[in-house]
Amino acid sequence: MKYFALVIPALFLAVFLFAAVKKVKLYDGFAEGVREAPPLILSLFPYLAAILILSELFERSGLSAIVTGWLSPVFSFLGIPPEIGKLVLMKPFSGSGSMAMLSEILHTYGADSYIARCASCAYGSSETVFYISAVYFAGLEKKHIFTPIAVSLIANFIGVICACFFCRIL
Amino acid sequence: MNAIFAGGFAAATVLFLILDPDGFLPAMLSGGEKAALLALDLLAVYCVWLGFFKILEKSGLARKIADFCTPFAKKIFRTDDNEAVYLAACNLSANMLGLPGAPTPLGIKATRQFLARGNDNAAELLFVLNATSLQLLPTTVIALRIAAGSLSPMDILLPTLLSTLVSTAVGVVLLKAAQKLRRGRR
Repeated sequence: MKYFALVIPALFLAVFLFAAVKKVKLYDGFAEGVREAPPLILSLFPYLAAILILSELFERSGLSAIVTGWLSPVFSFLGIPPEIGKLVLMKPFSGSGSMAMLSEILHTYGADSYIARCASCAYGSSETVFYISAVYFAGLEKKHIFTPIAVSLIANFIGVICACFFCRIL
Repeated sequence: MNAIFAGGFAAATVLFLILDPDGFLPAMLSGGEKAALLALDLLAVYCVWLGFFKILEKSGLARKIADFCTPFAKKIFRTDDNEAVYLAACNLSANMLGLPGAPTPLGIKATRQFLARGNDNAAELLFVLNATSLQLLPTTVIALRIAAGSLSPMDILLPTLLSTLVSTAVGVVLLKAAQKLRRGRR
């Protein structure tokens, strides 16, 4: 597992060296990229705030415990920690919403706990199916898009089950 | 998403009204505070990676990766439509690199091209590939783990990679089966 730590520094070094050879202005180029960061955050922020406020209401009202209680037999059976149930259910709808939930799980259970590792892998290996379908197939007939959406949802859910399984054995 | 928000909000608020009316506003404010902190964490993440990706783009490497993927994409999508395949290859490579926000516009363009030529199967395949996540380096997850104080943030790399491979494979197999079924029925 130690070698994975080398991936990112090696990647940066390789790309920066290659760019330097190609006479790319590294300082200016890097700054130009960073310039895109604040607008991206500003466009995400309203959704992050709305979801996190809702999620906090969910948590403190006790609703979350009730829903988790319903789901936990199914999820435990499949080897998914019930604590990440909300994240798994949210992911198909909203990337920023599930990102908010991931961050919360990391802080609540500790970033290196089994639950947090499952959450990280589940987040990283699934996608926002409904969001992508809305933007890719905008204006298409409904019957057209049913198959790919159903297929993707099933595939993502199996991916989550695998993620929790791999987190247990690796 | 609007229905979920409205339903969840209403259900939680009713519970607060009955059980703990004083806790309602503090809960909302605490949510807002968490959002502000997360936005700062994410700003740090995007500063690093968007800077990196700009260098990748300027050096011509990003284009090289897409060029490299194009022949494979032609095989996968079973078409000779160069423009659509190139767009799809760009979309897939941006996906694999985990560029935030970049794959979507490319994917939309490629999908429109495929559909304009009546190549529904290719459009559906591109969607499934996008919607089952192909990311090789989950940049955001790693960074959020670091922000949350993880001692080994990269630990999740291998399990994530394996499970995303499984989900993509399952998606492609299921889609091909569904498409075959549909062809058979016609």
